[in-house]
Amino acid sequence: MKTSRWVFIILALVAGICLGLAYGWFVDPVDFFDLTPDTLGADYKADYVLMTAEAYRLEQDPGLAARRLAIFGTQSPSAIAASGLTYARANGFADSDIALIQELVTALQAWSGIQ
Amino acid sequence: MRRVPWGVLLALLTGLGLGLVYSWAVSPLRVTDSAPVALRGDFKDQYRSAIAAAYAATGNLPRAQARLSLLGDADPIEALNAQAQRMLASGQSFEQADRAAALAVALSEENNGDAPIPTSTIVAVNNNEDAPTATSPPPPADTSVVPTETPELVETQPVLSESTPRPTQTSLPTLGAPFTLTGQDTICDSNLPDGLLQVLVLNSNRRQLAGAEIVITWDGGEEQFFTGLKPEIGNGYADFIMTPDTTYTVKLGPGSDIAAGLTVPTCQTSDGESFFGGIKLTFQQP
Repeated sequence: MKTSRWVFIILALVAGICLGLAYGWFVDPVDFFDLTPDTLGADYKADYVLMTAEAYRLEQDPGLAARRLAIFGTQSPSAIAASGLTYARANGFADSDIALIQELVTALQAWSGIQ
Repeated sequence: MRRVPWGVLLALLTGLGLGLVYSWAVSPLRVTDSAPVALRGDFKDQYRSAIAAAYAATGNLPRAQARLSLLGDADPIEALNAQAQRMLASGQSFEQADRAAALAVALSEENNGDAPIPTSTIVAVNNNEDAPTATSPPPPADTSVVPTETPELVETQPVLSESTPRPTQTSLPTLGAPFTLTGQDTICDSNLPDGLLQVLVLNSNRRQLAGAEIVITWDGGEEQFFTGLKPEIGNGYADFIMTPDTTYTVKLGPGSDIAAGLTVPTCQTSDGESFFGGIKLTFQQP
């Protein structure tokens, strides 16, 4: 077989791989479901932190708030809440919402100190 | 006529297959920016629970609705009711389950157009119509938002405002809140099953209360059941089939009234034919 023919075959193989990767990653990527909360977008995580902060205002139970935030995985609850606070400040959340999250962060920092 | 380059075509297809296997199975794109709709069922439950807890604290129904829509439930009310039942069945706190049920009731009332009119004297005053209000759901990450003046909470007389007022927080029933037996009626309806015991549980606002545990006892037996399992009839509805010639006692939580000496009544049709009727009990928190 001529060398030029092998070159064409290899080029076609490489082109096929590139097409396959492009299709699989960009055109029709894998549909994910049954995901864990740590994969949520930062905006949804921040909103979840806000929900926890709103509930904390009523319940005043830092342990319960920490359990709610524990669904995000390995970070400490206060660090998760602090991330939410950073996002809220950077993305124009209402001051009242930021104040709620700030209150939660402070409570969780104090709570983790006595654990 | 030129020959078809089968070797090249085969190589292209092989490469395409290898690329797809790698991109779909070996190294699919990492998920870092998913939405709540893609969460696993148990995490969706936790998300829903947090929404209900936040609603219990703020009374902000539009925000709760916006959050629930993120979960992609076909029927959020049904999902909340079902979750309340699951929480009770799995031994989670009554209070948490009740919050899910309370949000379901609020949504149901909203859908029926009889949402409670806010009575709070605290209203959000916002002079800037374009500014996000205190009741707006937080904006998504990719939306550029200009931080604006914070809505100011002031105590005042009720006024009409374009901002969404915060409703007065509804007091939530707790396990220890006693129920009063406000109604005990004999039901003679031949269309209903024989010996049907219907129990309706209402809170102090006469709203049906889902997730209330009912204990029925009889000579040599006891059973527990919960309201809310038949939301098509009512969130505060539960029923039980009684056996004739057996005497039953029904009670709710500690300190609540007890309906004792319940037996299947005998009724008569207009033709004088006898059949077994039922009993309807109504419990309400004072």
